[in-house]
Amino acid sequence: MEAVLLRARGVPDSRAIATYLAAGGYEGWKKALAMAPDAVTREVTDSELRGRGGAGFPTGRKWSFVPKDHPGPRYLICNADESEPGTFKDREIIEHDPHQVIEGIAIASYAVGAKTAYIYIRGEFVRWARILEEAIEEARRAGFLGKNGLGSGFDLDVWVHRGAGAYICGEETALLESLEGKRGFPRLKPPFPAVVGAFGKPTVVNNVETLACVPHIMTRGAHWFASIGRPRNTGPKLFSVSGHVNRPGVYELPLGVTFREIIHEHCGGIRGGRKLKAFFPGGTSAPIMTAAEVDVQADFDACAQAGTMLGSGGVIVLDETVDMVEAAANVAHFYAHESCGQCTPCREGADWCKDILDRMVEGHARAADPETLLRICRFSSSGMTICPLGDAYALPISSMVNKFREEFDRRIGTATPLPQKKLPVLPWAGPRPGFGV
Amino acid sequence: MPKLTIDGRTVEVAAGTNLIEAARAAGIEIPFFCYHPYLTVVGQCRICMVEIQGQPRLAVACATPAAEGMVVKSETSERAREAREAVMEFLLANHPLDCPVCDQAGECLLQDHSMEEQRATFTTHMTETRRTFPGYESRLIGPHVIQNQNRCIHCSRCIRFTQEISETSALTYKSRSNSTFIDTFDGKPFEDPMSGCAADVCPVGALTVRGFRFRKRAWKLRSTPSICPGCSIGCNIFIEHHERVVYRFSPRENPGVNATWLCDYGRFLAESLNEQAYLHPQRRVSGQLARATWGEVFPALSTELKAARSLRVVASANLSNEELYLARELFGRHLKGEIVVPVFPGEPRRMKNGKREWLTSTDAHPNSHGARRLGMATVDGEGLVRFLRGAAGTTVILDPSAHPSLASEEALQALGRGPLVAFARAKHPVADLAGWLLPTPSLASNEGTFVSSTGSVQRFAPAFAPPGTVHRTATGAMSPTCPTIASPWGPPGEARPLWVVLSSLAREMGVATLDLSSPADIFALMARTEESFAGVDWEELGVQREQRSYRERQHVG
Amino acid sequence: MSTRPLVAARPETIAEVTFDATLEERIVDLLRRYPTRRAAILPVLWLCQERYGWISPGVIRAVAQRLGESPAFVEGVVSFYTMYYTRPPARYVLQVCTTLSCAYCGGKELVEHLKGRLGISFGEKTPDGEFQLIGVQCLGACGGAPVVQINDDYFEQLDIKRLDGLLDELTGRR
Repeated sequence: MEAVLLRARGVPDSRAIATYLAAGGYEGWKKALAMAPDAVTREVTDSELRGRGGAGFPTGRKWSFVPKDHPGPRYLICNADESEPGTFKDREIIEHDPHQVIEGIAIASYAVGAKTAYIYIRGEFVRWARILEEAIEEARRAGFLGKNGLGSGFDLDVWVHRGAGAYICGEETALLESLEGKRGFPRLKPPFPAVVGAFGKPTVVNNVETLACVPHIMTRGAHWFASIGRPRNTGPKLFSVSGHVNRPGVYELPLGVTFREIIHEHCGGIRGGRKLKAFFPGGTSAPIMTAAEVDVQADFDACAQAGTMLGSGGVIVLDETVDMVEAAANVAHFYAHESCGQCTPCREGADWCKDILDRMVEGHARAADPETLLRICRFSSSGMTICPLGDAYALPISSMVNKFREEFDRRIGTATPLPQKKLPVLPWAGPRPGFGV
Repeated sequence: MPKLTIDGRTVEVAAGTNLIEAARAAGIEIPFFCYHPYLTVVGQCRICMVEIQGQPRLAVACATPAAEGMVVKSETSERAREAREAVMEFLLANHPLDCPVCDQAGECLLQDHSMEEQRATFTTHMTETRRTFPGYESRLIGPHVIQNQNRCIHCSRCIRFTQEISETSALTYKSRSNSTFIDTFDGKPFEDPMSGCAADVCPVGALTVRGFRFRKRAWKLRSTPSICPGCSIGCNIFIEHHERVVYRFSPRENPGVNATWLCDYGRFLAESLNEQAYLHPQRRVSGQLARATWGEVFPALSTELKAARSLRVVASANLSNEELYLARELFGRHLKGEIVVPVFPGEPRRMKNGKREWLTSTDAHPNSHGARRLGMATVDGEGLVRFLRGAAGTTVILDPSAHPSLASEEALQALGRGPLVAFARAKHPVADLAGWLLPTPSLASNEGTFVSSTGSVQRFAPAFAPPGTVHRTATGAMSPTCPTIASPWGPPGEARPLWVVLSSLAREMGVATLDLSSPADIFALMARTEESFAGVDWEELGVQREQRSYRERQHVG
Repeated sequence: MSTRPLVAARPETIAEVTFDATLEERIVDLLRRYPTRRAAILPVLWLCQERYGWISPGVIRAVAQRLGESPAFVEGVVSFYTMYYTRPPARYVLQVCTTLSCAYCGGKELVEHLKGRLGISFGEKTPDGEFQLIGVQCLGACGGAPVVQINDDYFEQLDIKRLDGLLDELTGRR
């Protein structure tokens, strides 16, 4: 497949606006400005582009939820808080082609009528925040952004807003809270951000990769985009592959490619000639898949059918040497650390899972542990929490327990009891209590 | 007005009502921890899960508005029951099992709910090491509040209270995930004029009021609806008492006045109600006060008053409308005396009502508005002294705490010049001058109405008969500001509410219209004869005499 | 290597903070970007961390006052995020990713080596104030596992030898 989103990778001086313009950059923005905002939204809807951040919600539909007659400002937010373990695709786009994202932001803002757009980028990405700021400045100087961009009468300010280290801020309502200067606590829904979003105004939050697709849809048309991949799962997709493969990295492939192709062809197979044991198809928040499921197609619907999810397309490959209990403990540590602490099941449950799994790893498993883990996971998912972080830890951990149950049970068989902490016996120094004192 | 069905019961509620309130209206209790009717809904404790027909996932009742035709299953839903059970299990995984030594026991939402969930099998929560917050187990977080972070269930009610109601934003979550805890900025004291409410809203024993801790088990307390005597705003309170001792005030819900809040100043007046310095009627005989009986008081006093050359009466804006009315009618109209109501501008106080509007008061009395409504003359401190200077004849002081300047040198000098009748509860220098010293009980033993600064007539109920024997505390458990407490065992004391004394005097003097046997009768007379009280019905002021209210209070605190 | 060392202000020098003209100018510029003052909390805290090296209670008070929030609120925000230092950091903060991909591609060995070489464990500083070791969750660079972030810069596809080289370079620069 020809490179679309990553076409600039390997091009010298690829970040410069001149390079971007030479490759036909900002043509989509020009074309969009000549259209009615509704028509832009329709074009994106027709392309069947689905959100690349994890949930796979149709982008055009998301835009169309913004009330048309709402007075006052609206906002567009580019979600660059890329924190899902195993995902590093947005950084790749920004590294090589930041203008692609900015053009996408401009088009999306125009479609939803936002005059201010924020790029919420994770705090650790200092370098990439700087790249974006420079690119925005370039685009502003070139007249694409700012007041009366391209003489269209459309004003657009784009600002980079750095997070400060919180996975949960990738969840769109937590992101909004964080943008508003608060602790990143996800909000209750409804109302949805399209109606009540940033600063109480209608807001659309889109992932970097989603927005990067938009200029291409504008220039080459919805039909071209929809012709890539499978029906309802259209377009190119960036897969971030990490773990025990020979060539980890970001791969641009059409949706619908199988995981076997990704792992064994594009990434050159498993390191050291070992065997594949399991893989996460879409970051650690997606249920794990075994080597037997490697022929599942990597797209939203096929993954859902296989009982997992494509998520952000962060494929983490684990080879036969990996101990699943340890891997589960590692996953649990991540979520226990990143839970915002708001909802009871997630705050208590993630930490509880971590404690149990740590104990199992240390060799003190108890017979009831796997069932307890499953119970905790069951009551942390499917709407038990405000945001999907409950599901995000419950699904992988329960899938690991279910699919590799024998490894968990083996831990029980070889377990030693937890050493009892001996409480020191302190001598009583005061007067003896009693009668007649 | 959406009509919906909850657990098979149909109920019609106002639009926008959430499912917890709708269920309450239908007589069904949905458990909750983080929900509070006067705070924003955050839906984070997840205990109020209900099943709604047609929705694949369970919903939180607190954040779901009632909709027309909605079919909700709470108790009857197996899924909801399981989910709640799981939430309890999560909460109890880290909550200490220290109910026996926890002062919240008896009014703890978590404890109550775990009692209700008897069917549940909490088997798995005893296995891991509990989360603890060393150094935060019994920490004085502010002057009035003690924090035990280990017990916190992270409902964020206290934080929302300081952000939305008291507007100090003094409390915050710190850290995140399972290590989240409640703290103030940089560990500085939790200074908030309503800090006690933060402990009130705490559903568990994580924040408790320092002054009340370990003084009385919550289930022993009886709660009598009353009105805070601290200022003219007239916050609705419960006087919480046991065996004739007042232990605390707690806010009573009234959306128009104090929603469910109470300022620290008002809250900690509770202790002062226990003071009863004068126990018996006393008469000065050859320079010494000697015990008298009420039977002797009325004939002698009425003769004395009728014979007085001139009569000056110092009423008080702390008295009830009924007492003020009787005083005005008896002393003013029948005995042709002169009456003033001294008014003292206290420190500014403020309170937030249910619409989150501030009510303010710079008036230290609970009923100066009632006095004005009865057309009585109010005076300030200087005016009061001037009034007393003219007192060559008899002076009657109905409440020595009516104004601080009653204790001033000038006032006492003026009072010493003529016969003095004083009604008093707390120790006061006018007692040394009084020819008659008549004991009155505290607000807790009185009944009547006050008019609040918002203009509403509010009733307070009697909590207990006036305490009889009073002794010094041996244990020092009471606050140093109140060295004496009532004995729970002795017979009721002889202190009588002012309205009782005044109507008895009226009978003695043959004023039949004022010979009334209850505040209700006095109020009815007032409503008939006073234009400013016309049309107000005592019964409609609706205060139940007494209730075991900790359950009900929990709905809001 | 272009990694700049962090310079942490001594606690007593930022017990009370007043923003100077340059900082104030940048704050005004930031406030222009948002419809509320509160929204500027995160960026202003970043500015302060850049200037003072860490966020002391004094800095929190100043930020709160400048943006019209209570200090407790700002402290709550600071403590939610992991990247604001609430204690003076070392000159070089080594943030080692401990999440799945990194852990299984040499991260664990890297951590053991670092702990041994520096003689500290997670969350600690070397006695000379040169290095601080933090175990962090996913840095979003799993393809380059194992990853270590030193101050603002990412170092990917590390092995013990390369990491040692980096540390030597940082120490030598002193």
